[in-house]
Amino acid sequence: MTNDTAIVESTGTLTEQQLIDIGWELRPEGLCQGDTCVIVPDRSALVVDGAVDLVVLADLLDRPVAIDSLSGLAAIGAHRARRRSALVDLVAPDFSLPDLDGGLTALSDHRSKKRLLVAFSSW
Amino acid sequence: MIAVAIDENTEAIRDFAEGITFPVLMDPDHLLTELYAISNVPTVVMIDENDRIVHPNWSAFGTDMFREFTGIDSDRQHDRVRAWVGDGRTELTDDEIRASVGDLSVDEEQARLRFRIANELRHRGDEQGAARNYTIAGELAPFDWTIRRAAMPLQGEDPFGAGFMALYDEAQAAGRPYHGITGY
Repeated sequence: MTNDTAIVESTGTLTEQQLIDIGWELRPEGLCQGDTCVIVPDRSALVVDGAVDLVVLADLLDRPVAIDSLSGLAAIGAHRARRRSALVDLVAPDFSLPDLDGGLTALSDHRSKKRLLVAFSSW
Repeated sequence: MIAVAIDENTEAIRDFAEGITFPVLMDPDHLLTELYAISNVPTVVMIDENDRIVHPNWSAFGTDMFREFTGIDSDRQHDRVRAWVGDGRTELTDDEIRASVGDLSVDEEQARLRFRIANELRHRGDEQGAARNYTIAGELAPFDWTIRRAAMPLQGEDPFGAGFMALYDEAQAAGRPYHGITGY
């Protein structure tokens, strides 16, 4: 899912292509993903010298962001609304992850059934 | 059952999953620790037919392997799950559920992001950059086992060795913080 975590090469800005790569586009209506748009109250804060400010973008999308300047990599996290769904609305947020054969399985593939979600590890 | 490995070691997980017919998914970037505020494994979440979380993050081992540490009888854990599957019986109110997990702090969010940056740098061959970011992640979330303990095998350290015991002692001293329910 494009709204999962993303790693981008950035020390603070994104190009138009990088924005598209993470699933978003700047249109007159605002920051859009398909039919969903987020209003941009101050476009001049978001786009500076033709580049998108990553911290302003993350804030608008309500996603956490971390920038490792030394390596030039930044990480953008999931929309906080998804975790709010779990913790406040008590509605399990959907996700899609690969199985051991490489196919993708989503929580919603098993909708309308009781599910025991078990997070485990080898460590 | 949907089992999600908060792990990138596909071979180790494949060994575990042999003979298992329910989905076993790989989550090397720890997406679930962000979406469900998970800070240790194993963590069990009970989700009903309408996607409602009827039991949030539960530190349930399901076996008696760690009974000495936890003092918890896994039969009773199985009983609780069976009661739910059988008659839909749940015991927590919505307010109790909300109060029991606690949101991730900004630092805990940042730790997860730094952990992912470290993974990426390690995959690119930048061991120093990876180590730097694993360290930052560990400083931001010192009692989050999905950060500090998960990073051990990724840096050549035995997660069942001295480092683990030190982490355990630290967590004990801090009151064993955990985003969720323990004790039964």
